[in-house]
Amino acid sequence: MNQTGNDDEIGTSADSLDLSPRPVSARQRRKRRPWPAIIVLLLVVVSGGVVLTKFLTSAIDYYCNVDEIGAKSGCEPGRRLRIQGVVDEGTVKNDGVTTKFNMSFGGESLPVTYDGEPGGIFKECIPVVVHGILNDGVFLGDRVEVKHSNEYEAENPDRVDDEVATAEGTACLQ
Amino acid sequence: MNTSMSKHSPRDRVTGTPFTRGLGVVILAGITLLIILAIFVSPADVNQGESVRIMYAHVPGAWLAYLAFVVTGISSVAYLWKRTRSLTWDRIAGASAEVGVLFMGISLVTGSLWGRITWGTYWTWDARLTTTAFLFVTYIGYLAVRGLGGTHQQRARRSAVLALLAVLEIPLVHFSVQLWNTLHQEASVAGRGTDVEMDGLMLFTLFLGVVVFTLMYVWLVLHRQRSLALDDMLDDSGLDNALTARRAEAQGVAR
Repeated sequence: MNQTGNDDEIGTSADSLDLSPRPVSARQRRKRRPWPAIIVLLLVVVSGGVVLTKFLTSAIDYYCNVDEIGAKSGCEPGRRLRIQGVVDEGTVKNDGVTTKFNMSFGGESLPVTYDGEPGGIFKECIPVVVHGILNDGVFLGDRVEVKHSNEYEAENPDRVDDEVATAEGTACLQ
Repeated sequence: MNTSMSKHSPRDRVTGTPFTRGLGVVILAGITLLIILAIFVSPADVNQGESVRIMYAHVPGAWLAYLAFVVTGISSVAYLWKRTRSLTWDRIAGASAEVGVLFMGISLVTGSLWGRITWGTYWTWDARLTTTAFLFVTYIGYLAVRGLGGTHQQRARRSAVLALLAVLEIPLVHFSVQLWNTLHQEASVAGRGTDVEMDGLMLFTLFLGVVVFTLMYVWLVLHRQRSLALDDMLDDSGLDNALTARRAEAQGVAR
């Protein structure tokens, strides 16, 4: 684009060239006020605030380990807790309505009662995070999340029935 | 049509080149191979069973989002630095951020489905998920800021500064699983352990996924960057068009 060239051309024919402003079309006006971008930006600010609040209230220290109950700040027995521990082998009992099991971490064990059947890949010897309240030494859970590890091992059809040889078995042996 | 457009041949107005066409063919072959490996050849996991296959889209999606946002940051530096200042850098930054948001979206959706199957929940506010959501929202905001109007230079300067702030969130997201107690597991490959705790064929499939996603990223950014350049050209032609129209009117009056 040649700016000076354009100016000269305009100058030579300025007597007959109408340079007065014209009414702008609705489409051009919309372009000047970028409402979609402004609305998205407002939504981003609001949702960013929500996410930040969630970060400060929930995400920092998502759970307490079983051995940290009453020992670490934020893990006081009287309040609503999220407890992490490994489901003890042979303790899972389901009567159709409630599921009871023990979970342990760092040498401490905790009995858990959960109304319902835990989802995900819940099983013995797997780490879980249970949300709930501690009552008379029993943890009344209302949400169970399975915290699987970052180890990946091929499923071996030859030893599917051999409980001890699988990764879940070795996790419980530790 | 007008003087500023006439010096560009029609070839300049398409976004494909022989390179991107060749790349497209390679990507299609790569996607096919990835699907075969991910769905049929690679083994099921001993704990997670078949659901482990979601990893081959989830992990590359997250890594490519990181890469895309880092490229946006570097391009923004290149724009802000006077010696390399060019609107091309700004358009690469914008294109990369758009593709990054797309890949982050893929990672969030696949991660949510994976979480439902293994954790037993679609979403929870643990540190990894929360920081990822924040990163996602930040870059949607970045794209909105790019669309606020003004001159191309105003857009470029404004968004470049924002990109430099936003890129600082990436280490926070990546190390969130080490800094805090999270439901999300730690990284298997780029984690703090020296041992990679993953079956060999699984690891190879994941590696292929990263390669294919990277090629897709390059293809998408090249095209998008060119279509953004065409958008800018169209904007620039607005004043020329208006002047041409007025001049034509004036000539009509004079005649």
